[in-house]
Amino acid sequence: MTPVTQLPTPPSISSRDPGLIDPAVRQIRDLIYKVSGIYNAEEKLYLLVDGCGKRMKQLGVRTIREYWDHLTAHPSRDGELRLLLNEITIGETCLFRAQSQLDALRKMILKEFIADKSRQAVKKIRVWSAGCSTGEEPYTLAMSLLEESEGLLKGWQFEITATDLNDRSVETAKLGTYGDYALRNTTDYFKRKYFTPAEDGKLQVRPEIKKYITFNRLNLTDDSKMLFMKGMDLICCCNVLIYFDGASKARVINHFYSDLNYGGYFFLGTSESLLGMTDKFHLVHFPGTIAYWKPMLQGGKP
Amino acid sequence: MTVTLAPDIRERVSRIETTPAIPAILLPLLRLLKTPAEQVDLDEVVRLVSYDKAIAAQCVRVASSPLFGLAKPPSSISGVVVSLGLKRIESILLTCCMGQAFPVSKWDLDPVVFWKHSLGCAMVCRKFSEKLAGADPEKAYMAGLLHDIGFLANCMVYSKEFAEAVRVAMDEQIPLGEAELAVMGFTHCETGRAIAEQWKMEEDIIQVVAHHHDVENCESDHALVAIVHLCDLLCRMRGLGYGYYERRKADLLHDPAWAILEKVHEELQGMDLARFTFEMDDSVIEVSELVSMVFSRSNA
Repeated sequence: MTPVTQLPTPPSISSRDPGLIDPAVRQIRDLIYKVSGIYNAEEKLYLLVDGCGKRMKQLGVRTIREYWDHLTAHPSRDGELRLLLNEITIGETCLFRAQSQLDALRKMILKEFIADKSRQAVKKIRVWSAGCSTGEEPYTLAMSLLEESEGLLKGWQFEITATDLNDRSVETAKLGTYGDYALRNTTDYFKRKYFTPAEDGKLQVRPEIKKYITFNRLNLTDDSKMLFMKGMDLICCCNVLIYFDGASKARVINHFYSDLNYGGYFFLGTSESLLGMTDKFHLVHFPGTIAYWKPMLQGGKP
Repeated sequence: MTVTLAPDIRERVSRIETTPAIPAILLPLLRLLKTPAEQVDLDEVVRLVSYDKAIAAQCVRVASSPLFGLAKPPSSISGVVVSLGLKRIESILLTCCMGQAFPVSKWDLDPVVFWKHSLGCAMVCRKFSEKLAGADPEKAYMAGLLHDIGFLANCMVYSKEFAEAVRVAMDEQIPLGEAELAVMGFTHCETGRAIAEQWKMEEDIIQVVAHHHDVENCESDHALVAIVHLCDLLCRMRGLGYGYYERRKADLLHDPAWAILEKVHEELQGMDLARFTFEMDDSVIEVSELVSMVFSRSNA
């Protein structure tokens, strides 16, 4: 005889019932990844559902299936996909957005740069925030590097180039004034150290931080200008390439590659990938983030 | 290359078997895992699962979770065994069994963190293997689950030295294995090997336990060892590590293990590692759920 233990019905295990999400949402997730390289994890699918909801309301579309057709079969599908990408990335901009990347920079990458460049006459690290929007990223980088100025970076200089296609964004970035939402990840320590109070309860970046950053308007598809961005150690380009078609994306990535020094790093958004568009970069992992690394020339030193 | 273990390690580890902390069904279960599937008596499996009431209840709960894909809650153990199939039930049984295997008081490592990493690695190994033609996902799951079993041995028979190694690893943000080597002169790979051999685990699992940090040196079953090595690294890079920041960079595509695996599985060349990494973040939530199930000791 087989012993059979009778058991009570097990309790519900997951509050995150996969059955509640329309399969079309995952289809849209896959489409977005294929086109842009942005991946919406299960945990963040609700953001995608919200984004689709907003677009569906605008279009007067009632079901997610119907919206799928808009994204794939409609004549304006490319435009619609851009609008959807806008919706799902718009809320992301804030200071100290990608803590895992900043940790990797401060705990590991800077040490590599220092070792690689220690024999150079000018001890300088150059960083480019490509697609800096309203300045959150370059200021975050400046503050993070300044935190190391008495430690790892003692005796070193750094400069940050921040560019964006949009003139108005660049002007706003120069002002460096931010409200609660943009500062939601900024600790009191950083607020006190690097900001002064501005009107309407906002905070403004102190002028002495701004001198580390040069803001410029730049179109990443402008080949002649891209050729001049040489000698970078780190390039950050978050949620920008997602809007480019395959050919322009490949061109921009190639520029980034040649603009970087050997041993330099390229960061995308934390859930963004290059979709294997280049095998020149090494895809490397740091805790909580991936990065693209331009390997040293064979034989060690650049 | 054969690794010679210090007799001292083997002797000390040999005492583990007699501790009351090991569930009675663990060793019969490990024997069962070595039996070819066609020779396994299903009734025997059902008896094994039913033997320990707490483990039986847990097995049913784990089996009913979306992670193991049993849509309808089963009403009996034999129902679970039949609907899940032998391989799956073995995985689940081993998961529950290992979760109860060691006493909480002796840990120098947070047991929840330890199981999160082991189960995380198990699930990621399974997902990774599903992308490789001809790989055995359930085997990979077990290999992932057991790869760090040496830490358990360390907790039990080298508790003072190991506690120091854990402290050094956390303070210096270095891998635990490096800290072990510095403090103790040997690592969980060696104590793990001793325990795996003593419990007569399958040879491929022994290789995983002994060589998941030096794939090049394993004596056989390189592909399985390489899978565990890579998935272990991925877990530690994506929030399923040992609960502290490890200052390290991993270049998986240029890791010797990747090259070893690529020789056996050509399809690895087309794999989108970035996407696999993002998908792994979903596992973090799944693993947390699984750990809380395995750790709840209620009899349901």
